[in-house]
Amino acid sequence: MNVTATVTVDPITVEVIGSSFASITEEMGEALVKASYSTNIKERRDCSTALFDIAGDTLCQAEHIPMHLGSFIGIIPHILKRHPVAEMKPGDVFIGNDAYEGGGTHLPDIVLAEPIFHDGTMVAWAVNTAHHSDFADRGHAHIYQEGLRIPPIRLYDGGVLMKDVQELILLNCQVPRERLSDLRAQMAANRLGVERVRALCDKYGRTTVLSAGKALQDYAERKMRAGIASIPDGVYRFADLFDNPEVEQPMEFSVEITVAGEEMKLAFESPPQARAGFNMVYTALLSTVYYAVKTVADPTIPPNAGLARPLTITATEGTVLNCLHPAAVNGRIAPCQRVVDLIHGALAQAVPERVIAACSGAVASATFMGARPGSGELWVYLETIGGGSGARATKDGLDGVHVHMTNTSNLPVEALEVEYPLTLLRYELVDGSGGQGRHRGGMGLRRVYRAEAPCRLNVDNSRLNSRPWGIAGGESGQGGSFAFSDGVGPFVRGDGALEAGQIVEIITPGAGGYGPPSERSAEDKARDVAEGRLLPA
Amino acid sequence: MAWRIGIDSGGTFTDVCLFDDATGEVAVWKVPSTPDDPSRAIARGTQEGTERVGAKPSEVAYFGHGTTVGTNALIQHRGVKTGLITTEGFRDLIEIGRQKRPDLYDLQVDKAPPLVTRDLRFGVSERLRHDGSVEIPLDEEGVRVAARALKAAGVKAVAIGFLYGFVNPAHEQAAKRIVAEEFPEAFICTSHEVAPEFREYERISTAVVNAYLGPVMQGYIRRLADRLMELGVTTTPHLTQSNGGVIGFDMAARLPVRTVLSGPSTGVVAAQAIGQMTGIENLITFDMGGTSSDVALLRGGEAKFASDAIVHGYPIKAPMLDIHTVGAGGGSLAAIDSGGLLKVGPRSAGADPGPVCYGRGATEPAVTDANVVLQTLNPTHLLGGRMPIRQDLSKQAIGRLADQLGLDVMATAQGIISVVTANMAKAIRVVSVQRGHDPRDYALVAFGGAGPLHAARLARELEMKRIVVPRNPGIGCALGLLLTDLRANFATTRLATLGDGLVGAMTEAYAGLVAQGEHWFAEEKVAPNDRKLRRTADLRYQGQNYELSIDVPEGPISSATIAALADGFAEAHKRLYGFVAEGEAVQLVTYRVEAIGFVPKAEFRPQADAGPESDHAIIGSREVWFPEAGGFVACKIYDRDKLKSGNVIAGPAIIEQMDSTTVLLPGMIATVEPYLNLILETP
Repeated sequence: MNVTATVTVDPITVEVIGSSFASITEEMGEALVKASYSTNIKERRDCSTALFDIAGDTLCQAEHIPMHLGSFIGIIPHILKRHPVAEMKPGDVFIGNDAYEGGGTHLPDIVLAEPIFHDGTMVAWAVNTAHHSDFADRGHAHIYQEGLRIPPIRLYDGGVLMKDVQELILLNCQVPRERLSDLRAQMAANRLGVERVRALCDKYGRTTVLSAGKALQDYAERKMRAGIASIPDGVYRFADLFDNPEVEQPMEFSVEITVAGEEMKLAFESPPQARAGFNMVYTALLSTVYYAVKTVADPTIPPNAGLARPLTITATEGTVLNCLHPAAVNGRIAPCQRVVDLIHGALAQAVPERVIAACSGAVASATFMGARPGSGELWVYLETIGGGSGARATKDGLDGVHVHMTNTSNLPVEALEVEYPLTLLRYELVDGSGGQGRHRGGMGLRRVYRAEAPCRLNVDNSRLNSRPWGIAGGESGQGGSFAFSDGVGPFVRGDGALEAGQIVEIITPGAGGYGPPSERSAEDKARDVAEGRLLPA
Repeated sequence: MAWRIGIDSGGTFTDVCLFDDATGEVAVWKVPSTPDDPSRAIARGTQEGTERVGAKPSEVAYFGHGTTVGTNALIQHRGVKTGLITTEGFRDLIEIGRQKRPDLYDLQVDKAPPLVTRDLRFGVSERLRHDGSVEIPLDEEGVRVAARALKAAGVKAVAIGFLYGFVNPAHEQAAKRIVAEEFPEAFICTSHEVAPEFREYERISTAVVNAYLGPVMQGYIRRLADRLMELGVTTTPHLTQSNGGVIGFDMAARLPVRTVLSGPSTGVVAAQAIGQMTGIENLITFDMGGTSSDVALLRGGEAKFASDAIVHGYPIKAPMLDIHTVGAGGGSLAAIDSGGLLKVGPRSAGADPGPVCYGRGATEPAVTDANVVLQTLNPTHLLGGRMPIRQDLSKQAIGRLADQLGLDVMATAQGIISVVTANMAKAIRVVSVQRGHDPRDYALVAFGGAGPLHAARLARELEMKRIVVPRNPGIGCALGLLLTDLRANFATTRLATLGDGLVGAMTEAYAGLVAQGEHWFAEEKVAPNDRKLRRTADLRYQGQNYELSIDVPEGPISSATIAALADGFAEAHKRLYGFVAEGEAVQLVTYRVEAIGFVPKAEFRPQADAGPESDHAIIGSREVWFPEAGGFVACKIYDRDKLKSGNVIAGPAIIEQMDSTTVLLPGMIATVEPYLNLILETP
């Protein structure tokens, strides 16, 4: 194969091809959202799209959900482990989700990967993942409870649907109609990616496109190196507590970051992996570190594999932050959020103006499940709720947003109530939840639901016992909490049930402040009071 | 004699384009804008423009107008103090938005500030269910209390938006009535009137933007209408909307949110017409004015539309053209930043005092000053001699920057041009490269006063091989106004499964929308023969949340119509997403009617080929600085008005006309095509 031959491509063409990769992945994402049926994709946009080179290195990831990179970076190597390239043909589509054998980070993120052929030669991969809101109410003692494990196998063989495979998968899902439609939408997204990359190869020539891909990875590496070099050399340590409805006692996570010239080493410590759903596989840790370091080193680094080269990332195997089979991983994004805070906390000692105070540190979520009256068809509704974003050196934090590893949309009330037997009673910022400081931490959110029919509910949240910390004298933000109307039965490890008419309130954490509150300007203080962002004294 | 007049009011100049229906004569005029009250310059332009062609304002048969009043108020946050009345428990919705942060990786980026501060957002007790039935009746007293509080707080506008207001407007209507009783002088609008579609955040946000801009636009339109009446203009004036069509002043004052892209959208319409004339259909428009530049991409002669967009950080549900704006224009100021680098814009000299060379007291150099020093612009006068230019002042101002940079004056002036060119190239990449189009496959259409001056360098930077400079580039948008039809959109959201059972409901829905369209035609006094109604239906598979718009065949609704819609949907879905979900229910979401009132448009006539010789158009020569030639080069100056079809000019050269100056770089060739557009190419 001559696809590895490279040529030197002029900078303008590299830029055009790089921007084309970005627009292709964006377009793939739009197709996925628009063709899908499940609220989690069509409105909440809990999905991501990417292009990979044939070696499995990222060419470009669309700017959707940073966490999903963790599901992408493992998939191609796992496909290649099981399926020889020589046997691949146009129209093959691989499906996978497993955290240990499929390169995924949790089972609901089902990845579809399609090799792109140009004139008979494999040139790249179109890949996307969609968070299938399913596998609900199953338990998290180990991964076998968390849903169907799918190693990378062919869903389409040379363009022909493997019906048996599809039927096996659908029978293991609670809402098969949505799964089927979302899989079709994922197919639509990859098909677009395949077409667009082929057109790009037609136009510029395969070798030029592939060479430009390599040049873009080198460029990302150079930018990452320059960004790290601008951080003073040194060893920076930070520790924080992690809590969750599934554990009684908060756990300590810590990091040691060594900055030496253009390279950075990050070593993490955490307790042994738990019989709970919040363990992280190594690729989840990698994608978290890539995200966090990029925000500090240089947010404009293109999202491709080159940016990882100057980073060395370690964590003891068998711990929460680098778990081994068969640890359960469904809620892995919660510790990921804490890992980002750890990295910002450590680097605050080196470049305080480039980091932000602790964010909500949570991906508060509510997963409802019930049966439709009459048909008995099951419904599953998952949503995640934003919170406060940390205060910055020169300004307040953002109020009520998704922070760090996720960035999904909310579901409009006018869609939620049409689709599910739920009524939303309140959705608002929580007064007084942002940590005080020269610059105030972002405010958390309050979301209050009323069940209109009996249903099961799982709630997740963090900072229930600890607080999102401030920087440089800034105060901590408020933590997260739950409240239930009278008569609601006990919730154990976040699991419980609601009867029709019962109400649940979820409050998400605010964020830490920056600088001493005494330095807050009179004008800003007056505005906080007028706008009710502070609690009355 | 019937004159048609188009007036585009920009930040720096107000452009006037007149067209004589009888003779096909086109005349253009330009007056400085009056940003504190743009209607002054418009009235002056109308008066001077008509005088110049020997006509009276009363002889104007059509008056079209594009404005940046709305968009500027939104960008600069100069709308009015606005209040919001919404469903209890949801007052923070316009601030939370879709709960996404504005940038994935850059943690310093802020969200656009809410247009209503938190203390002016009132939740009142009321609740509708998703089918429009009432769960909690409207707390009318609560609305009254909120209205009084807003009045006491000094707001000028009130937006009202409740959950499901688009399904059942009763609560919004009742609240509007109460607010009007308590606070009659306020501008009041409701979400169901402004954007009757689902997704509460986007709908209420659109209503808030509408309220925020309402009094600004109302005041502006009233002043303008009065001035035009004083002048003796008797025809009903029209204003461009963001979708490229025009509406009457009354509707524009009620729904200002539909005009936020009024100014730039007319330029796109003009570029489309120029594309048809020249047969060049893949175009990137480059409209460079005094304070900003607008770019848009036309592929196969068609501009891209969006049914909603985020404009300056605020979601707006209204049909609009896909236009990208960057704060770089002839008036953009050059300065040295804290890191010692030369930066240009986004601050602008504006119309007053204008660039240093106007001699009105400005001291900070603008892009125009750099052009005056380089002598790409006439160093003694502009606007066909009406505006004297002080090159000495420009040199002094740029000299001060040069001293700080340790460069000479000429290198600094050229540096200003390089920086502003890079800024504009970035804007063009947004609409081309970022959307998967290679700018090298497109021709650049340069207009706006400063477009042709910078187009050659910009095209070189982007490796674009061809530039089209319209006959009257400085008034491109004003010209577009003479080519624009009246256009209004009517829609109603009614969820239903597509099937034969829908014939009755569909007939009824379209009858209602068509009646609204006919009413609008009557209001706009559109003659029966000039009316066109286009019916479309937004369809999706049940379960999806994004629809495809499918044309409804002409004629009465029948089961054949339903079948045609189903086929059209399947075909479109297959084309876009590659699959048809056999046997699955198709849902009808929104019925739409687009009403188009054809206006007689300016028609341009091709000119006979007069041969390549162009010396007859030479009006002089001056030294112009070309770094590629190593310094000042004696350069022939051509009068654009004297150039004839078929004439050819070899660069370097300068082509002057009243409303613009075209720079032809060394090595470029300009050809005049039959409609007198200039085509610049690098052989």
